[in-house]
Amino acid sequence: MQNIKRVCKLLIIISIICSLTGCWDREELEENAYVIGLGIDHSKLKGKIKVTMLIANPEVGSVQGGGGSTEKPREIISFDANDFIAAKATANSVISRDISYELLKVIIVSEEFAKDPNFLPIITSTLKDKEIRLDSYLAVCKEKASEYFLKNHPRMETRPHKYFQFMIDNGINNGLIPDSTLFRYFSALDRGTDLFMAMYTTTEIEKSSNFKGEDHYAAGQLNVSGELDKTQFSGSAVFKNGVMVDKLDGLDTRLINILDDTTDIQDVLVNVPDPFSESDNQLAARVTKTNNNKITMNLNGVRPKIEITIPLTLTIMSNPSMVNYAKDPEKKNFLKEFIVKDTTALFEKIQEKTQTELKGSPYPLSLYARKHFKTNKEFERFNWAKAYPKADVTIKPDIVIEDFGIQKKVLNNKED
Amino acid sequence: MKQHEKVGIRDYTSIVILMMGTKATENTPSAFYNDVQSAAWMIPLISAGFFLIPLFLLLKTFSVFQGKDLFVVVKKLLGKYIGFFVLLYLFIISSLAVSFDTRMYSDIIHSFYFRRTPLVVVYIIFLLVCVYGAKKGIQHIGSVSYIMVWYIIFSFVLAMILSIMDSNIRSIYPILGSGIPDIIKSSIPGTTLFADLVLLTVLLSSMSSFKDFAKGTWIAFILTAIHISAAAFIFICLFDRSLGGLGYPFHTAIRYFSFGNFLTNVETLFFPIWLMAAFIRFAALLYICTKLFAHIFHIKEAGYLIPALATIYLLTGMIPETPLDVALVFKAKIRLIAGPTFAAISLLLWTVALLKGEFNYAKHKKGM
Repeated sequence: MQNIKRVCKLLIIISIICSLTGCWDREELEENAYVIGLGIDHSKLKGKIKVTMLIANPEVGSVQGGGGSTEKPREIISFDANDFIAAKATANSVISRDISYELLKVIIVSEEFAKDPNFLPIITSTLKDKEIRLDSYLAVCKEKASEYFLKNHPRMETRPHKYFQFMIDNGINNGLIPDSTLFRYFSALDRGTDLFMAMYTTTEIEKSSNFKGEDHYAAGQLNVSGELDKTQFSGSAVFKNGVMVDKLDGLDTRLINILDDTTDIQDVLVNVPDPFSESDNQLAARVTKTNNNKITMNLNGVRPKIEITIPLTLTIMSNPSMVNYAKDPEKKNFLKEFIVKDTTALFEKIQEKTQTELKGSPYPLSLYARKHFKTNKEFERFNWAKAYPKADVTIKPDIVIEDFGIQKKVLNNKED
Repeated sequence: MKQHEKVGIRDYTSIVILMMGTKATENTPSAFYNDVQSAAWMIPLISAGFFLIPLFLLLKTFSVFQGKDLFVVVKKLLGKYIGFFVLLYLFIISSLAVSFDTRMYSDIIHSFYFRRTPLVVVYIIFLLVCVYGAKKGIQHIGSVSYIMVWYIIFSFVLAMILSIMDSNIRSIYPILGSGIPDIIKSSIPGTTLFADLVLLTVLLSSMSSFKDFAKGTWIAFILTAIHISAAAFIFICLFDRSLGGLGYPFHTAIRYFSFGNFLTNVETLFFPIWLMAAFIRFAALLYICTKLFAHIFHIKEAGYLIPALATIYLLTGMIPETPLDVALVFKAKIRLIAGPTFAAISLLLWTVALLKGEFNYAKHKKGM
């Protein structure tokens, strides 16, 4: 009797083991084709879109492979489709493996299509597909997305998922591109009061691009030469109610990222005009934002009053005019005042641009306004979207210069 | 179902915490958000305030009948016939709640994790595990839940901390959401969050003592009220206005964040632990429902009833066609009535006990 019981138990356990394979959802790395980048374009056919898939080969580049694999690291296909969910099935007539959006990193939309009102229903379907994660990035490219992927040939990072991850992470860290995840896109869309910025990228380099400041470029304007990939990430595309309306260059994007407390910029290197230099030389400085902005609002009048204080810490890293700050404290103060004036002017310029040209704040400023209302109805009656362009905004950078760089060496050079 | 051992306070409290705490991980926070927007986090607290009096009176009534369970008390206070209908009502409501809740959990598993597996298969496997747990008896459920409760709390707190990193506290304003009248209106059906506490009196006869039961109930009541409120608060901060459109914010959240660049797709870490909590919750509920059913219809071998009842729940749970129907039509109705009526039943029991002079009698007995 006991033996029978034991056998029965064993049988049950063995049958349970079978369910560990996950039934219908059994997946094998070898059998899947992981889409890393998804491009969306206008199609020549009416009402359709052109979907481009950048598919990574999981066999390439892994250490365990020992470099034995001679397969290409990626595969790119473009075709017309109704949306990019059913497109998975269509793609299978070309790709031998099962298409999966599980590891999707970036969705790239051509500028032309992003400006089309049809873009909104197409991108909203990312919410419906549970495979697409909301931390994937949304980017806008200047050319057609299908061409963008073809021209994008990273030299060092042949594995596409690493390339996009590094490129985007570094761009966000130094503030030249916004942190434009799908999550942020949809929350800006649902909030309905603010604009959204998506990163701007291109592989087309403008021929007539002159030298500008270190961050005044939009993607495609930086004239680089050498042995390299031509893809550039810089600047941003501005979306209003889910559709692209305008674009900003790297400097503007950076300033807005500094104004925005919800992104973390870490390592911003900038050039500031050197007040002591006679030949328009520029200082290099590292900017860090240590605290959150202080924002006070008075929304009672006809023109709402908003005051933003930005705490910034600067480290001066070069000294082209060879001024010795250690000996001369007055020059220190002069430099600080100069920098404050310079940055205030920059912020005021972009602030004015958001109020007059964009007619909306590209970062979630309305969240600060909500505190002044007790119920949602009151807030809706106030109508932030209408009030913002009229608002009287003052921006005060609160600058602390942490370090003036090494003084001694400069001193010695001068005395020689 | 022979029972020798009794359930102690430790095991009992963890069962109750898991039973009610898992509600924060399904559609409850977003349902509250749709009612009152940014004030959703207040509802669990205010509902707890509403439920405080019925719960206090319920425990007071039971304290008179030291260690007697719901069946004895109902029979003694309401008599055979009214008592029968009250118990039947409790059984029907909790059965419907269990069947739609299990369906919702299967929907979550199906739509987030096992997309290709047919829903019925997921549902059957889910219920099989619960049946197995329920058949083992409440003592086993209790000890398993005590073992698991720390891991579950830890993983939930971790998930919340990761959500806080991406969230913005200013989303909580306007502080009153859609206004005070709406908050009060939604808080009354909100008491359904704690309706399980009334059902749990069924377990009194397998508890070590009434004191443990009362103490455990209070601890779990306060903890879950804070827990659900905190979860709603964090989800509002994380999702802001998008929360209204999300079915299951917890699962959307764990799919969103990652431990830096290195460890992504962390939902595979949280999912099994959440699943354990769900199994314990429904095993306990299944056990309670079976006990109710067995008592109402005088069935002695209640153990054989569990698979049968689970099958019925499976069949009723499959009635709604889509997950949307489950959340917005079927479950919403149960949510609307369960809490207030369960509170009314506790009030009824107390009033009858007061009128019958049970409290005086008990005092007399103590005095002597």
